[in-house]
Amino acid sequence: MPSNIEKCYQCGQCTSVCPMGEQEQTYKIRKFLQMEKLGIENEESIMTPFIFYCTTCYRCQDNCPQGVNIVDGVLEIRANAVHEGKMLDAHKKVAQMLMDYGHAVPNNTAGREKRLQLGLAEMPSTAQGSDDHLDEIRTLLHLTGFDRLIADEMPDMKVNEGLTLTKAGFDQPIAEESA
Amino acid sequence: MSELSLFLGCVAPNRYPGIEAATKKTFSKLAIELDDLLGASCCPAPGVFRSFDEETWLTLASRNIALSEKLDDDVLTICNGCYSTLKEAGDTLKKDPKLKETVNRNLIEIGHEFKGNHDVRHVIEYLYQDIGIERIKEMISKPLDLKVAVHYGCHLIRPLKEDGSELVNGNISFFDELVQATGATSVDYEDKMLCCGAGGGARTAILEATLKMTEKKLHNMADAQVDCIVNACPFCHLQFDSGQQDVNSRFRKNYSIPVLHYTQLLGLAMGYSADELGIGMNTTSTADLIKKIKD
Ligand code: SF4
Ligand code: SF4
Repeated sequence: MPSNIEKCYQCGQCTSVCPMGEQEQTYKIRKFLQMEKLGIENEESIMTPFIFYCTTCYRCQDNCPQGVNIVDGVLEIRANAVHEGKMLDAHKKVAQMLMDYGHAVPNNTAGREKRLQLGLAEMPSTAQGSDDHLDEIRTLLHLTGFDRLIADEMPDMKVNEGLTLTKAGFDQPIAEESA
Repeated sequence: MSELSLFLGCVAPNRYPGIEAATKKTFSKLAIELDDLLGASCCPAPGVFRSFDEETWLTLASRNIALSEKLDDDVLTICNGCYSTLKEAGDTLKKDPKLKETVNRNLIEIGHEFKGNHDVRHVIEYLYQDIGIERIKEMISKPLDLKVAVHYGCHLIRPLKEDGSELVNGNISFFDELVQATGATSVDYEDKMLCCGAGGGARTAILEATLKMTEKKLHNMADAQVDCIVNACPFCHLQFDSGQQDVNSRFRKNYSIPVLHYTQLLGLAMGYSADELGIGMNTTSTADLIKKIKD
C-alpha cells in the first residue's frame, strides 16, 4: 500500500508513544518521516540503519491524529534503502536462509531431536524437506529479482560513533531469526 | 472432509515443535481435521521480506495460499507474523486485479495460481469465532488453576483491524476469554498491549534494544505475579522464552516466567501431558508450572 506521509503535520505524537523510541533515543519516527518527506537522504543520513529498528507494532499509527499509515511509510523507506544496496548484514543472512532453505528459520539438529521426541516427523512437511518445492521457491525468487537484490555488494554501513545507539546489533553471530 | 490446512511457518516446526504438536492434538480432540500443507515456505516474514521487496513478499505469500486453495481449504496459521503476511497479502491481491495478474504471471511458471477464493485464519480468532467458548469449555477435562499474563501480539490485532473485525472494536477480550475457558485466570497487567519487542526484523537488526522492550513487558508481568505467559505466536514465544534468558544475563535480572503458546495451555486443560505438548522443551524453565499443574 502506498503510504500517505504527506499528511503528517509533525505533531510528534508518534515519537512520544513509540516503544522503540523509548528504549533508543536515536530512534525518532517523526524525524524519519520528515526526512523522507523532504527527501533528505544521503550517505550520511542517520535514517539507515535505524529505520530497521521499528518493530512494526503499529502503536504510532494507532495514535496519529492525521491517520498517517506510518508503518507503510517505514516499509517504503526500508524498501528504498534495500534497493540502494543498504540491506543490513544480519538481514542479508536471513534473506540467504530463504534462498537456501525456503525458510527464514530452517530446521537444525536440536529442532529435529525435539520433533522426534514429540512423535512428529523429523522434518516438517514444509519446503525445506523437498528439492522440488525448493526449486519452485528459487524460481520465484529469481523471477522477482530477489536473488539479485541480495547478491549486490553492500557499501560499508557507517554508524556514526557519536550516536548513543549501540552497535552491538551489527556484530552478532549469524542471525537465525527474523520476523 | 477437511476445510483447513495447517500453515506451520518457520519458528514453530523448527524451534518450538511443541506448538505444532499441541495444535494437532487439540484440533484432533475438537474433531477438526487439518490438512498438511506440503511444500509450504516461510510466509515470508512480514518485517523483513515485506520491507525488502513488496513483490517478492506478495509472490511467495500467494504461492503458500495457492497450495491451500488446491486443497479447497482456508489457511490456518498459528503465528501472528504468518497471519499478518498471509491475511494481508491475500486480501491485497483479492482487491487488486492488476497485482494479482502480476503475481500469477510468476506463479504460472511453477504451475500454481492464486485464485483468491479462500480466507486466512489465525488459530485464536478461529477458535473464538468458529468453535466458540462454550464448546471449548465442554472439552476441558482438567481445568487449570493458573494466573496467566495474556500477550495478544501486535500482528494478531492489526490484520483484524484492517478487516474491520468486531473482535478489535473497543475493549479487546477474545483471547482472555479463551484463556479463561481453560479454567485459568487472565490477570490484568500494566501496558498489556505493548509489543514483545521482536517484530519487524528488529530482533535480527538490534537484539539489545528489542530485549529492553521485552524486559519492560516481563517486569509488568512479574509485578502481576503470574504463573505463566500465554501467547499466540511462536516468534513472541521465542522472544519471551529464549529472550528472557538474554534479558537476565545482559541486564542482570532474575526473571523466570514460563512461556506457553495458547494451544499448549488448551492441550493441558484437555488432559494432555506437558511432555506430549513439548512444554518442558523451553529455554526458560517450566518445571514449577508443570509441578503446579500436577499437584
Ligand atoms: S503522529 Fe502522525 S501527524 Fe503527528 S508527527 Fe507522527 S505521523 Fe506526523
Ligand atoms: S510501529 Fe515502529 S515506529 Fe511505530 S510505534 Fe511501533 S516501533 Fe515505533
